[in-house]
Amino acid sequence: MRRSYLISALLLVGLASGQPGATYITPELQRLIQAGGQNYANVLLKQAPDQALCSIHRNRLPPEVLGPFIEEQRRLIKYPEGGRLMGDWKRGEAIYNTLARGNCFSCHAGSPLNIGGNVGPSLEKYGQRGTSEAVQRYTYEVIYNPWAYFPCTVMYRFGHGGLLKPEEIADVVAYLLDPSSDFNTKPALRR
Amino acid sequence: MRKNRLYRVLGLALLGFALGVALTQGQQELDPYKEAERQRELFRQTAGILPGELYAAQGEELFHAKRGPKQVSLEACDFGLGPGKLEGALTQLPRYFADTKRVEDLETRIVSCMVRLQGFKPEEVKRDEVKALVAYVASKSSEMPINVVPRTSQEIAMYNLGRELWYHRAGDRDMNCAICHEAYAGRKVRLSPVRSPRQGLSNEWPAYRFEADKLYTLQDRIAFCYESVGIHPPDYYSEPYIALSMYMLAEATRGKNRFTEMPGFTR
Repeated sequence: MRRSYLISALLLVGLASGQPGATYITPELQRLIQAGGQNYANVLLKQAPDQALCSIHRNRLPPEVLGPFIEEQRRLIKYPEGGRLMGDWKRGEAIYNTLARGNCFSCHAGSPLNIGGNVGPSLEKYGQRGTSEAVQRYTYEVIYNPWAYFPCTVMYRFGHGGLLKPEEIADVVAYLLDPSSDFNTKPALRR
Repeated sequence: MRKNRLYRVLGLALLGFALGVALTQGQQELDPYKEAERQRELFRQTAGILPGELYAAQGEELFHAKRGPKQVSLEACDFGLGPGKLEGALTQLPRYFADTKRVEDLETRIVSCMVRLQGFKPEEVKRDEVKALVAYVASKSSEMPINVVPRTSQEIAMYNLGRELWYHRAGDRDMNCAICHEAYAGRKVRLSPVRSPRQGLSNEWPAYRFEADKLYTLQDRIAFCYESVGIHPPDYYSEPYIALSMYMLAEATRGKNRFTEMPGFTR
């Protein structure tokens, strides 16, 4: 327990200074990972300090780590040029419903095109929240970096991880929020 | 002669599969367990044999044939219960082996025996042969209780490393195993139910996956997990697989789980 707090403190320092060296990987774990081959080890050994924190705390950050962690995650969020947070819902539809892109339907219910999973909350009729600036911003930020709101969650940090460009995230925001989007006008597909 | 018969049966099975696909068009079952059960019945009715059983039959021939530079069979291979003892062998793997001085799972042990007993060079060992042999040896542990309890220092170390790897988040999707197979056990990703190791995750492998029309060993299945989250999987027979298998199967043991029919039949 004591050891894990010490490592947390070291990692937080690493996180704050942006140093990539902070890690909890022991020499034994490093050797094991390297035994899996170069391509595998390249990914697993290049662990960021925030990923390391989620790992050692088994995805549940203790209170003293939580504050600085969320602050850091908020700092990582970038916005589309021009600041438009709602793009084209048609383009967003393709991203949301494509396995190799947003893959949102695998975990969330609500799409009229795919039966959703239930790992994440249902997004059915998400547009009922309206399109105020606050709702747009929250939706955009959760997709760009979920860890700023739900630290260590399974949802990919689409913007931070480089999986979607800011403009593409704005398209998904439009798919969810635009009153004329199929997401809000057509019934969700159910199992 | 036996080989000829095998191919005839294989042809029949393929026919059965095509029939099965034709019959299922347009009425897709949404519960993957029920759908697997239905597909399995179709194979039974149309071909009279399951694909997993064909792989096992192929493995049985390979196991008893005199092969390799030393022209010997694998009958002297010790899977932890004594040379040639296959009954229940899978239930207690991975485990530590004094002769190779390392912890091995079923797949790695088969390779070790092909190298040490039959004289193959490691690079000559064919993946398809190992898979068939895995299916055969596993078939002798059908529906038996899983019994992986780390005891030696090497086994305990492997279990602990497996647990670290299980929780290790990495890659541009921040993935690890636990974030799905623990936090969301009991939920569904698309149509697939997510299970935790304690709930018996890993108790159906090796298995024939009817959607892929291929036999998947546990290593294949772990590799598939890595691929689906954009991480290049470890090389076959390498330690990350052994560590993760050790962790999952020891946890499955704690959860008092049994293997399914072996080889399994699944989506």
